[in-house]
Amino acid sequence: MKGSRKRAITPWVFLGPYLILTAVFFVYPFINSIWLAFHQTNGPRSAVFVGLSNFRFVLSDPDFYTAVKNTSIYAVVSVMIQLPLSLGLAMLLNSGKSRVRNLFRLILFSPHLVGQIFVGILFSVIFTPRYGLFNRGLQELVGWGLEERWLANPSLVMPALIIVSMWLYVGFNMIYFLAALQSVDKNLLDAAHVDGASPMQTFRHVIIPQIKAVAIFVVVMSTIGSYQLFELPYALLGGFGPNNSGLTIVGYLYSTAFETGDLGTGAAIGWLLAFVIFIISTIQIKLAKVE
Amino acid sequence: MKLFIFAWHPTPRMQGNTSAVKADNQKNNTMNYPYGKAAFFILLMALVTGTAHFAVSFRRQVEKPDLVMAIFAPNHEEAYRAVLGEFEEQHGVKVQLQLVSQRALQSRLQSALLTGADVPDLVELLEGTIGFFARGPLEDVGFVDLTDRLHAEGIYDRMVPSRFSLWSSRGRIFALPNDVHPVTLAYRRDLIEELGIDVDQIETWDDFVAMGRSVVQDLTGDGNFDRYALDTPLGGIAVIRILLLQRGGQLFDEQGGVAFDTELTADTIAWYVRQTTGPDRIGYDAGWGQSLAKAMNDGLVLFYFCPDWRTKQFEMDVPNLKGKLGLMPLPAWEPGGRRTSTWGGTGLAITKASERQELAWELAKFLYLNEEELSARFRATNIISPLKDSWSAPVLDEERAFYGGQAIGRLLADLAPQTPPTYISPYSNLAQNKLAEVYLGAVAYYNRHGEAGLKEHIRKELTAQADYVRRVIDRNVFLQTDEGGAQ
Repeated sequence: MKGSRKRAITPWVFLGPYLILTAVFFVYPFINSIWLAFHQTNGPRSAVFVGLSNFRFVLSDPDFYTAVKNTSIYAVVSVMIQLPLSLGLAMLLNSGKSRVRNLFRLILFSPHLVGQIFVGILFSVIFTPRYGLFNRGLQELVGWGLEERWLANPSLVMPALIIVSMWLYVGFNMIYFLAALQSVDKNLLDAAHVDGASPMQTFRHVIIPQIKAVAIFVVVMSTIGSYQLFELPYALLGGFGPNNSGLTIVGYLYSTAFETGDLGTGAAIGWLLAFVIFIISTIQIKLAKVE
Repeated sequence: MKLFIFAWHPTPRMQGNTSAVKADNQKNNTMNYPYGKAAFFILLMALVTGTAHFAVSFRRQVEKPDLVMAIFAPNHEEAYRAVLGEFEEQHGVKVQLQLVSQRALQSRLQSALLTGADVPDLVELLEGTIGFFARGPLEDVGFVDLTDRLHAEGIYDRMVPSRFSLWSSRGRIFALPNDVHPVTLAYRRDLIEELGIDVDQIETWDDFVAMGRSVVQDLTGDGNFDRYALDTPLGGIAVIRILLLQRGGQLFDEQGGVAFDTELTADTIAWYVRQTTGPDRIGYDAGWGQSLAKAMNDGLVLFYFCPDWRTKQFEMDVPNLKGKLGLMPLPAWEPGGRRTSTWGGTGLAITKASERQELAWELAKFLYLNEEELSARFRATNIISPLKDSWSAPVLDEERAFYGGQAIGRLLADLAPQTPPTYISPYSNLAQNKLAEVYLGAVAYYNRHGEAGLKEHIRKELTAQADYVRRVIDRNVFLQTDEGGAQ
């Protein structure tokens, strides 16, 4: 009896810490965020039920659509430019000698170790008009750009963000692709070579199918990561940029919830963001399966 | 120790052999921890961290001071530390100063006030933040209402009245103002003299623009201007606000209503667009920090908006310009008009959660109203106190070598009574962002169409953005409850 009781309790003792932490830090905030989305609050003492008012306001707010537009542009460019670059670099490294490969892998991956806040601050100096490294470099190379205000001109903010994010993430995504390329079956590559397949045909019909699972993972994770973008533009622009040109959905959430103090509307934005990410990820996964 | 040694070796239990476990248990009496090494280490870590946490908490409790004051300005910390000993001796108490970055201070304070967690007894707040903390009903504001004390003790009348507007919500005052921050123009004295410009002759902004157009030049012939007249920092919005306040305009009125969709604002933005855009521009955004220091050293820009706090910043950031800078009042908008504005502000608030509010109030008065201490602080920070009695102090007449022997204290004190009020709302940041949008839209319009229709375009945008801010404010059910209608 004593032994069987002990056996029954033992798993709960081990699971207990995990369950408590999950309940406190995931389940409770999750449920509370649903409650919050339908209320206006001013601290725990003051809460007023407002029904769908928070959602209605967000969906009629031009700033929300600015944030969605900015975030979507960033996400699309991330996938369309960063990932091919990452794959290209991975293929270059995969064909090199292992010692060189390891060195370049470290070099290309290292920007990601620095963190978004540091990178944001670093590039805010690099993009300084007249004195910044980037502007000086542009002026020397193409005779233009010395006085360009990358972080103060609304039409240049997004290109600046994309340049910084490429520096930050191309190497990171490359690691995934490199790992996938290294697991491609050598026999299949040899067979393709023996059958006279061109490099492009080998890439299209042998390599792509073999790395497809990883590629889908990287695309979905990059998209989700892009839709959660916040720290980089916030640190780079010291806010959300001129005309909200660097405002992302999470930035809009932060501004509403923590700068204006409207936690209820912030929670509503969070749920809308979750919905957007869910829809886009589902479409991406379905499209990948259809192919 | 035996348990520890045991934990390093796989046991039969780990290998799934229970009968062997029993045998092993019987054989080895030291094996009395039955769940394997992973669980053992988790338990060990929990014990170590728990003990450490307990020890640290206990130590903190032992060292608990009588008052805790949170501040964000390092030069304030330095100045307060120098005099706190006297206060501690007078009252037989221990005061702890905590220096926290401004952004962290606001977000931590916000969270702590909302959740009822521990907060400092006194907090120095940055301009505009009181609006954030006062976005709910007045009784929910986490700071002590100082209005009655200020009047009862005659402090209100001893200070510049316009400075209380920064710390007020719905007519109640929640912090003691630390400063006046009158704005002047700092200029490169050496270069201005070289160019033969007499700053005493510049009385109005029209005079300034005329002078400015004569000095803006491409000196190297590379197609880029290498000398500008006026620094226009932070994307322009900071300067627009300074100019608007100088002209008597506001983002919000005294009751918190939106007040920036006016002809005065449209005119100010249009004027500013002309000075910062196109071939006739006289303004350049020299940035902040290192790029500003480089621009100042290079003489890229000749005049800089300069409130009192910035005069000290210049002394620290561009020490090699010692003797080469000067200060002048802002040009007026019309002859005989106001020659200053205001930029920034700090106030000291007492939290409602403080158990020693009276002692905190005594400390606030000691730090902010002690004239002797204020003289020493002016020497250290160049910041003019809103306490009018302190303006007769001899320290203000001291000639400063960095500013070419100019008595900058006297100039700032003479301008202090003219500083305009700044009315604050929980939505001040939002309004400022919307005003920036109007400005940037106007810049784009001016680049495309020039002067034709510029003012109409700005008026239309101002109306749209002001209506947006009103719509956001109208959603605040707490302000509606408080006043019987949204402000």
